[in-house]
Order: sequence, then C-alpha cells, then structure tokens
Amino acid sequence: MKEFTGIGQNAPHIEAKDKVLGRAIYAYDFKLAGMLVGRFLRSPHAHAKIIKIDTTKAQALKGVYAVITREDTFKIKYGSNSYFFPFTDDQYPLATDKVRYLGEEVAAVAAESEEIAEAAIKLIEVEYEVLPAVFDAEEAMKPGAPMIQNKRNNVAIMIPAVFGDAEKAFAESDHIVEAEFRLPSQAHVCLEPHVAVAKYEEGKYTLWASTQAPFRIRENLAKTLKVEQKDIRVIKLQVGGGFGGKLEMLPLDYCACVLAKKANRPVKFSLSREEEFIYTRRKHPMVFKLKGGAKKDGTLTALAGSVIADGGAYCSYGPTVVAASIMRIGMSYKFQHCQIYGYRVYTNNPISGAIRGFGGVQSGFAFESLMDLLAQKVGMDPVEFHLKNATDPNFTAANGMEITTNGLKDCIRIASERINWKKLKYEKREGYGIGIGIAADVMGSKMYKSHESAGTIIRVEEDGSVILLTGAADTGQGSDTTMAQIAAQELGINLSRIRVIAADTENTPFDTGSFASRVTFISGNATKRAAVDAREQIDAIVAKKWNIPVTQLRREGEMIFDKENDYNRMTFMEAVKLCYSFDVGKMILGRGVYNPPTKPVDLRNGQGNVSAGYSFEAQIVYLRVNKDTGRVKILKIVDAHDIGKAINPMAVEGQIEGSVVMGLGYSFYEDLKFKDGKGLNPNLTNYRVPHSTDIPQMESILFETNDKEGPYGAKGMAESALLPTAAAIANAIYDAVGVRLTEVPFTPEKILKALKEKSQAS
Amino acid sequence: MKTIDIKIKVNGVERNLSVASNQLLVNLLRGELNLIGTKDACGSGECGACTVIVNGKSVLSCLTLACECDGAVITTIEGLASEENKLHPIQEAFMEAGAVQCGFCTPGMILSAKYLLDTTPSPSEEQIQEGLAGNICRCTGYKKIFDAVKIAAKALDNK
Repeated sequence: MKEFTGIGQNAPHIEAKDKVLGRAIYAYDFKLAGMLVGRFLRSPHAHAKIIKIDTTKAQALKGVYAVITREDTFKIKYGSNSYFFPFTDDQYPLATDKVRYLGEEVAAVAAESEEIAEAAIKLIEVEYEVLPAVFDAEEAMKPGAPMIQNKRNNVAIMIPAVFGDAEKAFAESDHIVEAEFRLPSQAHVCLEPHVAVAKYEEGKYTLWASTQAPFRIRENLAKTLKVEQKDIRVIKLQVGGGFGGKLEMLPLDYCACVLAKKANRPVKFSLSREEEFIYTRRKHPMVFKLKGGAKKDGTLTALAGSVIADGGAYCSYGPTVVAASIMRIGMSYKFQHCQIYGYRVYTNNPISGAIRGFGGVQSGFAFESLMDLLAQKVGMDPVEFHLKNATDPNFTAANGMEITTNGLKDCIRIASERINWKKLKYEKREGYGIGIGIAADVMGSKMYKSHESAGTIIRVEEDGSVILLTGAADTGQGSDTTMAQIAAQELGINLSRIRVIAADTENTPFDTGSFASRVTFISGNATKRAAVDAREQIDAIVAKKWNIPVTQLRREGEMIFDKENDYNRMTFMEAVKLCYSFDVGKMILGRGVYNPPTKPVDLRNGQGNVSAGYSFEAQIVYLRVNKDTGRVKILKIVDAHDIGKAINPMAVEGQIEGSVVMGLGYSFYEDLKFKDGKGLNPNLTNYRVPHSTDIPQMESILFETNDKEGPYGAKGMAESALLPTAAAIANAIYDAVGVRLTEVPFTPEKILKALKEKSQAS
Repeated sequence: MKTIDIKIKVNGVERNLSVASNQLLVNLLRGELNLIGTKDACGSGECGACTVIVNGKSVLSCLTLACECDGAVITTIEGLASEENKLHPIQEAFMEAGAVQCGFCTPGMILSAKYLLDTTPSPSEEQIQEGLAGNICRCTGYKKIFDAVKIAAKALDNK
C-alpha cells in the first residue's frame, strides 16, 4: 500500500522512467519546424586584432539564411560575477575588438544543413593583426608580457584571505613546512553537449538550452541583446549533465538568438565533443605556494602563501572560483592566522570557469597535502592531527564564517574506524607499496548577487494531484525529485501525486540555478515553505469542518485524523474535495520563498559568511603502488559525509559516488592539455575519463547532523566528495612508498620519476 | 550522393528505406525514424551512448553505416519495453537502484547491459565492469549501475 516517499526514503528520480524508456527530451533532441543549423567561425589565432570581416561570399551561398559578426551585436560585454566584481564583465558574446584565445567565436551562420553551414563558415574572410600571446599564468604576470585585457600584470583580480598575524604566528611555531602544488585543467565532459535552440517572434526570444541556470542566461541575454528580461524566455528541458559547465550564457545562446531574429527561422547550435572540451569552460589550472606552521603538540598556527590561477582569456566565474579556493580552509581548521593571496590571471588560453568543487578541488589538494606534511613534521598520526585541528559545531572561524552544525570530527572518526585506519596504517607489511591517506574538506556557498533567492509554488488541483513549480534546474542530480519529496512529506501525500514543472523563466518562480550545492538547501527551503503554506490552508478548512483547532490534526499516510476523536477522519482526496466544495470554494495555492541569511564578504580581507549551512566530509584512501610500473591500485575509499539529513539517501550516495569517481579521474589521468593555446587532447580517446573498469571499492557513509536552517536538516553536498580525493590519494601514496607528489595527475611516469629520485637521494 | 535501398526490422517493425551511402545508423534512427532515445555524445565510438542491438549484438550506431544494416533486426531503447507500462527488467532495475542520473548515457548503458545479460546471464562483478567498459557515465560513478545489472540478472533469472 505504501508508496509515500517522503524524507529519508529512497526514491528513484521522478523522471527516471522517461529516461530508461528513451523518451526523455533533452535540448539535444529538441526540434522546431523550419529549424536551421548554427555554426561558428572560430579564431585561428590566440591573440589578434580583428581588422576586417567579409561575409559576402558566405551570405551568397545557397541555403544560408543568416551570417552574423560583431556588426550584428550591440558590442556589450558580459560576465558572470557582475554583482560582486562588475569590472570583470569582460567578454563580448561575439569577438569585437580582438580575439584573445584560439577558437574564440568570430562569426556565426545559420543554414539549412550542417554541410552548408560548414561550407559557409569557410567562405567568411577575416583579416587579423596577430599580437604576441602568453600561455602561462606566471609568465603573464611578468613585466613586459602581452596585455590581454588592459589589466596590470594581466591580473584580473587579486583576492586576499588575510586574518590574524601570520608573521608573528610563524615566529612562534615549532614546525614550519613549505611546498608548491600544481594542478592542471579538467573538463566537465557532460555527455550531452551544450545546446541552444532559439526562436524569435514579435520582439520576443525563446531559448531552449541545456543549462544549469536558465535565469542567469536570461539576465545576460537581456543585457547583451539590449532587451528587457520579459522579452526573453529560457526553458530548460532534461539536461545531460552540467557539473558547473552549463552555468553561464555562452556565445551559442546569444548567437542562436541573434541568428533566429536575422534569419526569421529557429536556429539550433549543438556543440561537437571537441568544441565541448576546448571552447566552453574548464577547470582553472592553479599553482599554490604554501607555508604552514604548527606547535609541537600539533596545533596548526598559521597559513600563508599565494595561489595563481590561469584564467584564460576572460573572467567567467574566475573571481569567485579563486575566492572559494582560498576562503574555505578556515572553516575546516581552527587556526587564527592566515595570509594567502589569490591571483586570477589572464592568459591566451581558453576560458577557465566553474566546475564541480568551484576551486575547492585545487585547494583541497594543496591544503590537505600540506596538512599531511605538517603532521609528518610534527610526528603525529594524520588522523590525530586532523582531529586536533578540526573545527567544532557552533564555531565562528577566524575569517568570520559562521559554522552551525559541523560533523567534521565525527566524519574523521567514523571514516577511520570504518576502514580500520590504525590496523591498515601501522600493521601493514612494509615494502609492498601499500599505504593509506586521509583528507577532509568543507562546502557551502552563496556568491551570486544581491540575493540568492529561490521560490516555489504548489498547486493542489481539484483532482487531488499536485503541481509543484520551482525555478530549480535539475541537471540529473535529482532536484525535481527532492523538491517533490519535500512537498510529499509536508502535505502527507504519495510522491506519485506530484508533477514538477521546473526551470522555465516564464512559468516558474525565480531561482539562481544549480551550483554551489545550493539547491536542496535553498530551493528545498522555498519548497518546504510553499508546502507548509498549502498544508495550512487545507488544515484550516478541515479543522473548521470538525470544529477543532488545527493543532488537533494528525496526518498518517494519506489520512488526516482528529487526535481526540477517532470518528473524525478523511483522506487527502476528501480534504481536497472539501476545499473545492460549494460551501468552502477555496483554491489551494501554496507559496514559498527563501533567501539564506549570510554576510557579504569583505573583498579587502576575505572576511564574511558565505553560506547558511556548511557540509563537511572526511575521505580515506587505501591503495597499493606498483613500484615497477608506477601504477596505483585503489583498494578502498571510504567517504564519511556530514550531509545534515539525507532527503533521498540513494540520490545522496549517487552524488558522493559520482563525485569521488570524478576526483579519481582528475587524480590519475584527466589533464586537459594545451600548447600555445591549442587543445592537444580534445576527445575521449586522449582525454580519458573513468570507465566502469576503473571503479574501486567505495563506501559512502551519510552522517546526519540535522542542520537547523536546512529543510528537514539537510545541507548541500553534491560537490564536496571530490574535494579531498586527490590529496587523500597523494597522502596514501606517500605512506605507501615515501614519495610526495605535488602535481596532479599522478601518472605512472611521475610516480616512477619520484621513486627514482628518492632512491638516488638515499 | 548515392542512395541504397535497405530493409530493416526496427523494434519489431519492418521498414523499407532508401538511405544515403554515407548515412550513419545513428542519424537514420534519430532522424528519419525519430528514435531519439539513441544518443550520440562523441561521434567517434568512444562514449557508447549510441549503443543499439543489431542482430543480437551490441553495436555503436555512430560507427555503423545504415546501408550495412540491410536485412538486420535492430533493437533500440524504445523497443525494450514490451508495452508502455511494462518495463523490461533491466529498465526496472536501473530505476530501482538509482542508476539513472542525467540519463544521457542510460539508453546505451541499458542496451550494453542487455547484451551482457543475453550472453552472460549471471555475470561476476568483473564481467559486469568489462561488459559496460565501452559506455561512459559521468554522473553516477558506475556503482549503482553495477547494482542495477545485478538486480536485473536476478530478475531475469527468476523469469
């Protein structure tokens, strides 16, 4: 009988049936009558002035409906950090003055077929004045380096995380370690590429996009197309993965709109796998130079250093990525002194932006490797060292971040007990290359604009079905299901009664999008409020009918009872009929909005409070290094995760497992390579992602701290499990064979080289 | 472009078609036959999203010419369920196990799982991993997909 799938119960994604039947519609599948194919002409130079563009021949080709260049645009720059860093709006949606990376969009065509569109692209003539280019962030900061965006030393922005007195704290430290860490770029590799289908009718643009943030696309389209937001409707269909790569308006969204208007026909762009790899967004390569201090007893005293991030040609989400990478460390460990500077640097490489972890994957590797180095220097067990310094619940970090619930210490303990840390670390047979390592991290953020609102509307229909309207953008993580479960719980109804209509800028409430693991927490709170509102309306009607106070009502299954009179009972359906009866005649419409209480970050020192709820986790990796081949075999990974409350445990595990595997890929082979701005491995043969045969034994432990602010105690969690993975592996490799890897990925070549250097040194 | 007449049976329906000699099977399925459940995520046989079953074997439809399929019996994801409300046990298992996230790899993954279970009814963990090695999933970390295949193997065994 029981189908109710409320909080804490496993629920298959509500759209899973459509997906297993192959009938789910993605933007990739979306067609409109008369739709044309959109294609880009991309720059062959990494840095050049555009002197002249001649499209005459392309326009004359039969089957070409429109060709656009900078002259078809308003030449308005946009960016993704406009509220906090307005000066980082630095990209034209079609190259205007210069091209700043190899492959930048210079012109676009709309034609009847792919073949004609591609032929037309070849007929566009562009005259460039090639400029000197720079491809290394540290080189770009040197005096005399080519200027990419008229920013001194090509530094788009410097973000400080400065508190206490680091210099004094180092002077008073018993141990100091210094190290440099290097991290490469990673690609999102969403299986569905970026797709945009646009139509234009009577002053109005409609865009069907494969996106994580339709409302953000609307905002930037309105800005760059110079229209009101009301003149744009962005619709999300099913989305084949996002991972941070589909958070922004990209040139395809903009050009689809401009071409649709010019051609007076719908236009579809669907990027190729190669375009996905190089010309969308990618992870920031970063270099960390860090110094850490500790007392004899293992107390962490201070951190200092710098982070240099290769941002590529435009800012994208770069400023907040760098901010997120350096501000988080104070939330995990209670040291009081910090002096870290983050530099987001322009180069002529493709654009770096948001990707799952938002800078935390890079900083997680650097900081957690440094923690291991410090533990070793102090002569303390790494688990003990973590426990000694980990933050507690209800703790205000030295940088002002206000931590409420905090299961970090519990997660460290639980993970180490589950894997049997002491036995595996101290009773192992030496010489077999077996090792174990730990790393931990934190997640939680709000860095969008003046507000971080989400809204939900719940319609209880005459037939007892429920329509839930949310702006939240499900990209496969299951947020539609989570929202439905919250509503089912609050209304006391079966999940199957609920239909979710989501992420349509015209028909659903506003939502900033799926990023920063914010949807369950923020959109979930809005949904809970809407469901409470709807339930209270029904309750009032039922209580009035029975002439009792609403507090006397009780719900179980789909039944409503009078706590004090067994004869008073009705089903949810009967309650709905009562609401819509002649005597009552009340339509049930629930409304909920939520904006998390946070404090703005002071950009002079990085002080503030970015989230209303932080999630924590600890990860332990047990592995074996083959000293002859340099290959690493992961024997087991345990991830203990303070997720607040698992609304859908199966989906939570799915997020952790997916994250960990993405972290494994980055740790061992994912390395998006460029030479002189040209992508060297933009395909799935030469850029390897984890396959089914690469999956080790993994265990995820959900630790529930029941957060006071989160809906039913839930906190965001979908990104955090890949933050500690690379460091936990590097720390375990050190434990196994005594070599410290400071550069991701850990290829067999690097491991063999390190082993060789070690044996030569001894 | 030269066209070739072919006769194929797709999801139980006989079709007489005229295809261009360079037309890929994936484009025939997704285009003329409107079977959009078959995805094409790389165009070069690396991701497995375009997997379909041709004459009992799993095949990458992005590397297969439509004209090669003359006389073939083809099953796509749309042909797996016997009727709309009666899912194939593998489809059921993928839902039940939480093996579906974004779903873009799902049709190809399910058809690879079907081929695996058709040829190896009770696969070991290693055989499951090997059997799905040609299909990339970026969302799930594969663990729940392995669970789904195990559940499906049991269900099919009990049939």
